[in-house]
Amino acid sequence: MSTPETAKPDGAAEGAGVAARAESLTKAYGTGPTAVVALDAVDVTIARGRYTAVMGPSGSGKSTLMHCLAGLDTVTSGRVWLGETEVTGLDDRRLTQLRRDRVGFMFQSFNLLPTLSAAENITLPMDIAGRKPDKAWVDTVIGTLRLGDRLRHRPAQLSGGQQQRVACARALASRPELIFADEPTGNLDSRSGAEVLTFLRAAVDDLRQTVVMVTHDPVAASYADLVLFLGDGRIVDEMANPTAEAVLERMKRFDVIRHG
Amino acid sequence: MLRATLRSFLAYKGRLLLSCLAVLLSVAFVSGSLIFSDTVSRTFDALFKSTAADVTVSPKTEFEEGGQFPSGRVPTLPAEVRDKVARVEGVQKSWLNVSAENITVVDSENNSVGPDTGAPTIADNWYVTDRSPVELTSGHAPRGPDEALIDADTAEREDLEIGDPLRVQAAPGSFDVRIVGIATFTTTNPGATLVFLDTATAQRKLLGKEAAATGVQVQAEPGVADAALKKRIAAALGPADYEYETAAEQATSQAEDFGEFIDILTYVMVGFAGVAVLVGVFLIVNTFSMLIAQRTRELGLLRALGADRRQVRRSVLTEALLLGVLGSTLGLGAGIGLALGLIGLMSAFGMNLEAAEVTVRWSTPVAAYVVGVGVTFFAAYLPARRAARISPMAALADVETTGVGRPLRVRAVAGTLIAAAGAAALVGCALSTETSGAFPLLGLGIVCTLVATVIAGPLLVRPVIRVLGGAFPRVYGSVGRLSQRNALRNPRRTGATASALMVGLALVVGMSVAASSITLSFDEQIDRSLGADLVVQNDSFGPFPQEVTDRVRGTDGVGTLVRQRIVQTRLTLPDGEEVMSPAAAADPGLEKVTSVEYVKGSTRAALRPGRTAVSERFAEKQNLKVGARLSARLATGERMRLTVAAVTRTGSGEGLGGAGLVMGLPTLEKAAPGGLDSSLLITAASGTETKELRASLDGALEGYPQVKVRDRADYKELVREQIAVLLYLLFALVGLAIVIAVLGVVNTLALSVVERTRELGLLRAIGMSRRQLRRMVRLESVVIAVFGAVLGLGLGLVWGVAIREVLALEGMTALGIPWWTIGGVVVGSALIGLVAALLPALRASRMNVLAAIAHE
Repeated sequence: MSTPETAKPDGAAEGAGVAARAESLTKAYGTGPTAVVALDAVDVTIARGRYTAVMGPSGSGKSTLMHCLAGLDTVTSGRVWLGETEVTGLDDRRLTQLRRDRVGFMFQSFNLLPTLSAAENITLPMDIAGRKPDKAWVDTVIGTLRLGDRLRHRPAQLSGGQQQRVACARALASRPELIFADEPTGNLDSRSGAEVLTFLRAAVDDLRQTVVMVTHDPVAASYADLVLFLGDGRIVDEMANPTAEAVLERMKRFDVIRHG
Repeated sequence: MLRATLRSFLAYKGRLLLSCLAVLLSVAFVSGSLIFSDTVSRTFDALFKSTAADVTVSPKTEFEEGGQFPSGRVPTLPAEVRDKVARVEGVQKSWLNVSAENITVVDSENNSVGPDTGAPTIADNWYVTDRSPVELTSGHAPRGPDEALIDADTAEREDLEIGDPLRVQAAPGSFDVRIVGIATFTTTNPGATLVFLDTATAQRKLLGKEAAATGVQVQAEPGVADAALKKRIAAALGPADYEYETAAEQATSQAEDFGEFIDILTYVMVGFAGVAVLVGVFLIVNTFSMLIAQRTRELGLLRALGADRRQVRRSVLTEALLLGVLGSTLGLGAGIGLALGLIGLMSAFGMNLEAAEVTVRWSTPVAAYVVGVGVTFFAAYLPARRAARISPMAALADVETTGVGRPLRVRAVAGTLIAAAGAAALVGCALSTETSGAFPLLGLGIVCTLVATVIAGPLLVRPVIRVLGGAFPRVYGSVGRLSQRNALRNPRRTGATASALMVGLALVVGMSVAASSITLSFDEQIDRSLGADLVVQNDSFGPFPQEVTDRVRGTDGVGTLVRQRIVQTRLTLPDGEEVMSPAAAADPGLEKVTSVEYVKGSTRAALRPGRTAVSERFAEKQNLKVGARLSARLATGERMRLTVAAVTRTGSGEGLGGAGLVMGLPTLEKAAPGGLDSSLLITAASGTETKELRASLDGALEGYPQVKVRDRADYKELVREQIAVLLYLLFALVGLAIVIAVLGVVNTLALSVVERTRELGLLRAIGMSRRQLRRMVRLESVVIAVFGAVLGLGLGLVWGVAIREVLALEGMTALGIPWWTIGGVVVGSALIGLVAALLPALRASRMNVLAAIAHE
């Protein structure tokens, strides 16, 4: 029960353009009768300048979707675009460049290089590319995330919330077209989690970034503009301007479908 | 618990591979050397036993003349001794043996047909006994003055056939012969070239005496015991007039002489094994430390589930035991292969061991397992104790690695103390005035400084690598910064990895400094004391036939010609003490071709009849003053009375053969006529260019390939080559150490890459290319390797300078720093780093990004 009709007009309605798009994206692990289909002909469009959350129970394929959109994983069939660039079919070198120059990442844990200071971690993608960071922009990002007094610290000297803020700053620092956040609050207490989510929200509202966040937490999803619900490898529903309660209600129906 | 141990051993088998290789190499060298020396000694014992006559009678000698300074005078006995022996009851047969070892045989093109391995060319009289090591396989026995047999191996190597002419250069003179037959070894060929003549020719041409021989060989009648017959013969001839040996005694004494050669080979192999063990220990300690660091959570879980410390420790040690047994078994197999290879190599050198059976005594596998298992167990013990200290909480905590943050205070204290002890020992050795006192101090100093550097290595990681990798961030950007930081991240690991490399390189540098100091000292001594334009000598400084001297004397353009002979003497000092000392005898005029410095006296005074010069060191040690009277006895029994007339200064004239005593040639000739010269010092006559003279001497000596005409530069080169041979051996030894050290670097990098999987995955995710990732690993490897090289260089230079201080006591005062070697070590270690990083870098770059960043 994919929803191409609903996803497309919604992205187009914003008129802000398309950040990423997938067409009948299928991802299967293994072959033959033992094959597990993680994504089953998914069509999805990520609107530019918006905060999209991908929700679903574990095993629904939400992380796989993100990995495929971000060029981290190969697809079994279907096509994926990032902006105007078709991601599917790119070789490793081009994929690496694409991730480096046009995508920002935040993971649940282990986001930072332990040997580098916070400041060095933030500018790492640009350092790798051999580009000079946009100083004014980086300062803005650091200011927004209130990291000014932590820049010289090593990750081990930072709290979990601070570490995720640094990861967030790194994702923003190269002003990517799209930021992928994979359970960014999964390892945090609720206060630090709320802080990180607020910053992601601010990144969209104040810094005009595009964020795709994978989560299973209804509260986290409520920070987004749009929630896509994934179940058994398909997009089963979506919800604009979500609230935590509404998302939770919607999620409960998964359990009903599953168990009932 | 045992099952858990086995499982984890199998699970981590890939990571234990390199440690296993290190054990294998050590064990292979230990067992290979044992098998080789056992095989060779058994083969030769059998050879000597099967070829020794029942009883051998030989001329009486005062002492065995050392192989280093043979005077060329062959002790003989009268031929009539055989007639007396033949009459003794119980003697079935007897033969005269006429044998000369210091000969050269050349073919029609004046090329020597002897072995070029340093093995001798021996001429014998031809007689057949049932113990002969050779038999005539083609042609006929030599009859008359111009017929000879040659051994089949030489004939094959030199492409000689029956009818070919040969020229034999013996002490009394050269003579031409024709090959009339080929004799083939029926036993193992020890590598010598053999020429056989008939007895009369051998006596006349080899000994220069009609009715003389070098020995009598006796075959006993059946039922007569060798020992009994020996007694009877001794009684008949006079027990004190000759030397008598039974077959068993002769075999034993021959085996002893030969044993020295085998011992040297065995020492070399044991050296290799020792180096392999030493460096292997670092590798194994490191591997186990890293495996335990990686398995902290697993071991914590075991503890949480109720395993006690002893069980955890035992589990790790059991793994070490399995590794040791596996490595030893494989190493034993490799050792047999190594021994076979060495035996093959020996036959390539003409020592034919093919017929020999490989001997594996029961002690060989015992030694192999003791070394292999012992080393592994020893190396794993500390990591095992650390593993046992892991708390159950470690299973729950999210720790990256243990050992990163632990303080290095204990190491700092221990390292400083041992370094201080080592430094004190080295200073003591430098201040010492006696070689005998300096050597133990030198050894102690070297061991202490080595241990101190190994212990304190991790402390040096931060400061040294900050400097070495300082330029990385600027040159390679973030890739450079990451690799520098990675190398700094676990100082213990970096330190231990670099230590393995350090040991080898410190040895290279220390020995190179010593060798170049020796070379430079000799160069300086030669420049200072050798006034001759040209020197005629053979490569081994041994004696050459009289003809060479005659030909040189007959060459136009020779101004001064000073002959030099060297003999071994037994000196009786004024206080009655007896010491062995080589002595040089030279023609008057020595002062024109050398400039030796004297503490007292002069060359002229020393060369007067019945006088001698002694070296300063010898004089001090034996408390000899000018005017002291000595009695010198030669191997052949002659006695000379000498008065000390001069004392040479230490460090002067020692490049000229290093003899303790220098006397006039007439003094020696008077007591012992008929010796052979071992060097000729020549100056060009006025009006003759050295170059011209050299060309005419080369022409005059064309038929004598064993001697060479050398100018001062060639002479220095000769000395240099002799030192270089030692150095090559050492480099081979160190090469092995470096191979194992490289394995260590590979090991550390490979385990680090595994350990940093998530980090590498993150880097790939945020856009680091495979090439950049590979470069990052390579740079880390290079900086670790160069760190090891820097430590090795520092340590090696300290050692080299200390060794030089000891050498200075022997008169070698120059300090030579081998800049090329040092430069080579640094560049080479960077290359080693690059090579070591090849596989780990490839592995890092091939890593699956998703697997690396996936949640646990």
